[in-house]
Amino acid sequence: MNLERIPNEEKLSLCRRYYLGGFAFLPFLWLVNVLWFFREAFLKPTYTEQLQIKSYVKKSALGLIVWVAVLTTWITIFQHFRAQWGEVGDYLSFTIPLGTA
Amino acid sequence: MIIMSSNILSGVDTVLDVGQSWITINALIWLWAFGFCHLLFMNTSDSEEDSYNERSALVQCESPTIPSYHQDHDMSLPQETDTKRGRPVSSGLDEPGLVERERAATPDGEEEELTLKYGAKHVIMLFIPVTLCMVVVVATIKSVSFYTEKTSQQLIYTPFKEDPNSVGQRLLYSLLNTIVMISVIVVMTIILVVLYKYRCYKFIHGWLILSSLMLLFWFSFMYLGEVFKTYNVAMDYPTLAMIIWNFGVVGMICIHWKGPLRLQQAYLIVISALMALIFIKYLPEWSAWVILAAISIYDLIAVLCPKGPLRMLVETAQERNEPIFPALIYSSAMVWMVGMADSNNPDSADERQRNEGGALAQEGVESEDDVALGGRRRCSAEEDLEEDRGVKLGLGDFIFYSVLVGKAAANGGDWNTTLACFVAILIGLCLTLLLLAIFKKALPALPISITFGLVFYFSTDNLVRPFMDSLAAHQYYI
Repeated sequence: MNLERIPNEEKLSLCRRYYLGGFAFLPFLWLVNVLWFFREAFLKPTYTEQLQIKSYVKKSALGLIVWVAVLTTWITIFQHFRAQWGEVGDYLSFTIPLGTA
Repeated sequence: MIIMSSNILSGVDTVLDVGQSWITINALIWLWAFGFCHLLFMNTSDSEEDSYNERSALVQCESPTIPSYHQDHDMSLPQETDTKRGRPVSSGLDEPGLVERERAATPDGEEEELTLKYGAKHVIMLFIPVTLCMVVVVATIKSVSFYTEKTSQQLIYTPFKEDPNSVGQRLLYSLLNTIVMISVIVVMTIILVVLYKYRCYKFIHGWLILSSLMLLFWFSFMYLGEVFKTYNVAMDYPTLAMIIWNFGVVGMICIHWKGPLRLQQAYLIVISALMALIFIKYLPEWSAWVILAAISIYDLIAVLCPKGPLRMLVETAQERNEPIFPALIYSSAMVWMVGMADSNNPDSADERQRNEGGALAQEGVESEDDVALGGRRRCSAEEDLEEDRGVKLGLGDFIFYSVLVGKAAANGGDWNTTLACFVAILIGLCLTLLLLAIFKKALPALPISITFGLVFYFSTDNLVRPFMDSLAAHQYYI
């Protein structure tokens, strides 16, 4: 889909839906939203809906950063403490590497 | 706890295996059903360009419109002009109404030239995704051993187990397996044509969605699991759930609804690769080769013969002036319909719009031909329709090309053979596109490439490899 060819209202609606969709534990969707609408929001000459698109992009970026922080923290904790957690660690693990304590 | 099985799911393996085969079966059904969905008639919007049948056609949907095309030959279609601007060859079957509306005069000679010029660019546009898909498949085969481990489990479509000890029996069973597989495909195609004829669009849409759900969630889950095991990485369920959930949902959104073009294309390539990997794993050795050959022949028949199911599908869609579900079709050009105000056929316009929505959402990864390209063909004032033609290739084609190259990589792991098959397929694709430009009608994309691929594989494996090996052994450089 080419953003060039759709009217501004549709762009806004698309951006908004991507933003709302991201709340369903979908930081990837927020990432796509930010990357896709970045140019529309910040690099294009102003048009009526642009302000709202900008706000959505910013909020998506914010949400994305929060999620990345959360996930990074969790992954770091897990990888570091997995072995020490014993049974809980195994229970949480999908794959367990061979040959490590 | 110090050394544990890397597969914590060991006990669940058998269950997963069964689940896998069940799922594979379903996935196959979907893919097959849609495999045969031709893009030919993508719709008026794309009709002009080359739409490719899922499996095989590099189709320029043109058949029905050919008469009108020729009649209005002088009015040269915007297609030609578009071609000038690097638009895809619009050969297509456009709805007759649309074709008439958009005529621009262009001399024949120019047309020819434009057609060919246009062809080269689109060849490249197809090379890249096909190459990417093959690269993904080969990289996985080489690194993740799971996909080359033969299990006793087979797809339900290949019920005969090959016995490695007896050549005759093996050959016979692979032929039987092929017959079963091809008949399943034929039956499914016919079912699809029937469903289409009776306008059971919702059913087909639902099928399609279910199949992509399966591909995007289950197969990618399996794939990730195997990759993590191969690289000995610890992964926890919460993170894994997040990854799969995000990947799957964004994939569904991009493929079936609206999403950035490049992401859509990437997803299509990924699901083709996943499907190809499943085939490589679950098809028995000899059966796979025979099936590849048989599929190409079937493709040829189905697309070109007047009574072929695919052809009928295309013709039906043309009669109705509506696009066939662009399911599982990779398109390098963007087809974009901005409201169809078709005064001539309001019904078809609505349908088209409905299907368009589906089309855009669907596998039809439409990439903007060239954003910089200013010229977008505009329909007459009545229709606010913008089209950008491109080349479309069915995902089934991607899958089979990748299966061929993947199997070449899996057997013996010789790079010569793999590269030879890769080159063969690209040459075949090139030739097919050339034929497409010449004939301007739906063409099967599988036969030429697969034939070259098979020939190259067997000859390289049996002639070139021993030759190179003995040269290397004797340190004789040529």
